[in-house]
Amino acid sequence: MPWRAVGAAGVLGLLLAAAPRLTGDQADGWYALTVLRASALAFALGAAFALDDPARHTTAAVPTRRAVRHGLRVLLVVPVAAVWWTAALLLVPAPVRPPVAGITVEAATALALALAGAALAVHRGDGARPGRAVAGGLLAGAVLGPLFAPGHWALFVPPDDERWAAAHDRWAVLLCAAVAVAVVCATEPRRRLGRRGLRSPSGTSGPSRA
Amino acid sequence: MTAATETPAAVTAVPRASGAAVIALARFETRRLLLRAPVLAAFAVYIGWTVWRTRTSWDGFPALQDADRATQGGPLLVGLAVLFCANHAVLRSRRHDTDRHLDVLVVQPWRRTVAHLLSVAAAALLTGVCVAGQFTWEALKPGAVGHGSPGELLAGPLSVLVLGTIGVLLARLLTSPFAAPLLIVLLFFLHTVATAPDNGHTVRWLVLTVGENTATTLPSDLLGRPAAWHALYLTGLALTAALLAVLVSGGARLRTVRAGVVGAVALTLVGAVAQGQGVSRETTEARVRASAAPEKEQKCAERDGTTYCVFPEWTVRTDDWAEAVAGVRSLAGGAARDRPLLVRQRIEARYGLDGDAAIAPATRPGQVTVGTAWGGNRVPEFTAAVAGVLVAGTEAKAGAMCDGRMVTVMWMALAGRPDPVADLRRVRLDDSDRGSAIVLSQTEPLRMTAAQTELVRELLRRPEREVAAKVKAEWAGLTAPKVTSDQVAALLGLDEPEEKDECL
Repeated sequence: MPWRAVGAAGVLGLLLAAAPRLTGDQADGWYALTVLRASALAFALGAAFALDDPARHTTAAVPTRRAVRHGLRVLLVVPVAAVWWTAALLLVPAPVRPPVAGITVEAATALALALAGAALAVHRGDGARPGRAVAGGLLAGAVLGPLFAPGHWALFVPPDDERWAAAHDRWAVLLCAAVAVAVVCATEPRRRLGRRGLRSPSGTSGPSRA
Repeated sequence: MTAATETPAAVTAVPRASGAAVIALARFETRRLLLRAPVLAAFAVYIGWTVWRTRTSWDGFPALQDADRATQGGPLLVGLAVLFCANHAVLRSRRHDTDRHLDVLVVQPWRRTVAHLLSVAAAALLTGVCVAGQFTWEALKPGAVGHGSPGELLAGPLSVLVLGTIGVLLARLLTSPFAAPLLIVLLFFLHTVATAPDNGHTVRWLVLTVGENTATTLPSDLLGRPAAWHALYLTGLALTAALLAVLVSGGARLRTVRAGVVGAVALTLVGAVAQGQGVSRETTEARVRASAAPEKEQKCAERDGTTYCVFPEWTVRTDDWAEAVAGVRSLAGGAARDRPLLVRQRIEARYGLDGDAAIAPATRPGQVTVGTAWGGNRVPEFTAAVAGVLVAGTEAKAGAMCDGRMVTVMWMALAGRPDPVADLRRVRLDDSDRGSAIVLSQTEPLRMTAAQTELVRELLRRPEREVAAKVKAEWAGLTAPKVTSDQVAALLGLDEPEEKDECL
C-alpha cells in the first residue's frame, strides 16, 4: 500500500485546511470553501495511488480475485479518509465553514473519482502503477471543469447561492456513477478481445510489455 | 603473409563531443515532451480557446495595451502540463530502473538534466510563438489602437519556462511520482492566497501572472504596471530553478553553476523588489493630469464642422467617430445641423485600472464626451450622447432632460444605425424595448419613459426618409423645452401614446 503517497497528500490537505486559521480573520465563506475543495483534491490525488501494485503481473495469478484485492485496498483507505476529512473540517473555523453535508459529498466524489479512475486504468490497460496517470487526469478535470462546465450545470457554486442544494444533488449523482464504475472495473475482464485475440492473457506467448 | 597493421593512434575524448550529446538528447526529449498527451491536450485547449475568444474580442476594436495582458492566461495551462510531463520525463529512468545503467555513461547526470531543461525551453518557445500569433492577430484588426508592452507579452512564455524548470527541479529533489500533482495543488493555493485583494503590491506581483479585473482601457503610459520588472523576475526564477536542478544532479563541482545560482537568485530578488514598488509618482501625476485637464495632452483634428480632441494613441479612430457623428447630424434640423461640436475624449485614471468611477457630464455648450472603447454597445451610446447635445445644448442638460425631446434624441441616435431596434435594446440598461428605462452613456445616463419608448419604436417602424422630413420640418416644436410626449406625437403624425409618461 503506498502509504507515503496517501500520507503526503493528507498532510498537504491538512495544511491547506488550516490556512484560514493561519491567515487570521481575513477568511470568508468563499475562501474556506476553496480551501476545503483544494484539500479534498489533494487527498484524492494521493488516493489515486492506492491501487498501485508494482508486482501486479505476479499477483494476477493468485487465487484471490481482483475484486477482493481491490476491495481490501479501498477498505484500508476509506477509514483513513473519513478520519482525515473530519480533522480537515474541524480545522476550518466554524463561522466560515460551508454546509458540512454538501462539502462532504464533494470530497467523497473526488475520492470516488480517483479510485474509479485507478480501477478503470487497471481494468483496461493492466498497468502496474497507473497512479500517476490517474492523478494527472484528476488534475485536468479539476482545472478544466470549473473553466468549461456549462453555467447551468452549476457544480461549483458558493455556499450562500440558492442553487447549492440542486448542485449537490448533481454531485451525489456523480458520486454514484463513480462508485458504479469502480465496482464494475474491480472485476477481471471475462474475455480479452482486441489485438490479443485468443492468446493467453498471461503474456507468455506474446511480446513482453513493460 | 602478415599484413602490416598500424596501431591506431590513441584517441582522447574530445570535450566538445559532450555538447553534441546534450543537444542530441535535448532533441529527443523535446520530441517526447511535445507529443505527450497532457501537453498536446493543453496546447489544443489553449489554442482553441484563444482562437474562439480572439474572433470577437472587444467587438473588433481592441486596445493593444489590453490585448497584451489577455495573452497571459492561456499559457498557464500549458505550463502546468509541461511541469507534469517534464517531471515524468526526468523520473523515467528511475521508473524503469535504468539509473544504474545510465550513470556509467560518459554523459553525466547533470548534462542529462540540461537536456531536459532545453526541452522545457523548447515548449516555452512554442508558447511564445502562439502568444505572438494571438497578439499579431489583434494588432492587425482594423480597429486596433494603442501600444502593446513587450514585458506583458513575455510573461506567458516565461511562466511556462518557470513551471517546467520547477518540474525538473522537483524530480531531481524528490523522486516520488506523487510529488508533482501535490505541488500543482500547492501552487494553485499559493496563487489564490497571493492574489487576495488586501495584499500589498509586493506579494501580489510574486505570482506568475497578475491580471486586472477590469474592462476599462487607459492610455498605455498611465497603466502603472511593472511589466518589464516582472519579466526580469520570472527570468530570474526560471534560471534559479534550472541551475539548482543542475546543481542537485551533480553539477555542484562546477564553479560556473555555483556562480550562476548566486547570480540568478540575485536577479530574482532585484526583480521582486523592483516590481513591488507600486505606482510611481510620475505615473500618478500623469493620471491626475489626464483625468482633470486632458486638453493639455490631447491632439485636436477637425472633420466636417466637428473638432475631435483625443489622446495621441486614439487619433486613428477619428474616422469611426466622424462617421457616427455625421450620421446623427444628417438627421437634425434647424440650427442644430450646423452647430459646431467638440468631441473630447475623457477618462478617469486616478484610481488606476481597478477604478470604475463615473465621468461628470460636460457643461460647455456643444461638447460631447467619448471614451476609450468603441464597437458593440459603445456606438449607440455615443450617438445618443451626440443627439442629446444637438437637442439640449450641453451634456449636463441632456442628462436632466425628461420630456418629449427624448423621442427626437433617441430617434436621431438610432435611425442611422444598421439595426435600430436591436441597438435600442443594447443602449438601455435592462436590455428591453418596452417600458421606461435608463439609457447608458459615457457620462450621465439619459432617461426614457414608457410613452417615449413606444413613440420611438413606432418611429423606427416607419421609413426613415418620411420621418426625417417630418423631424426637420417640425424641429423647433420638437425641441422646445418641456414639450410633452402627446404634443410630440401630434407633431409627428402619430397616435397618442397609451403608456405612462412619468419620469423616473
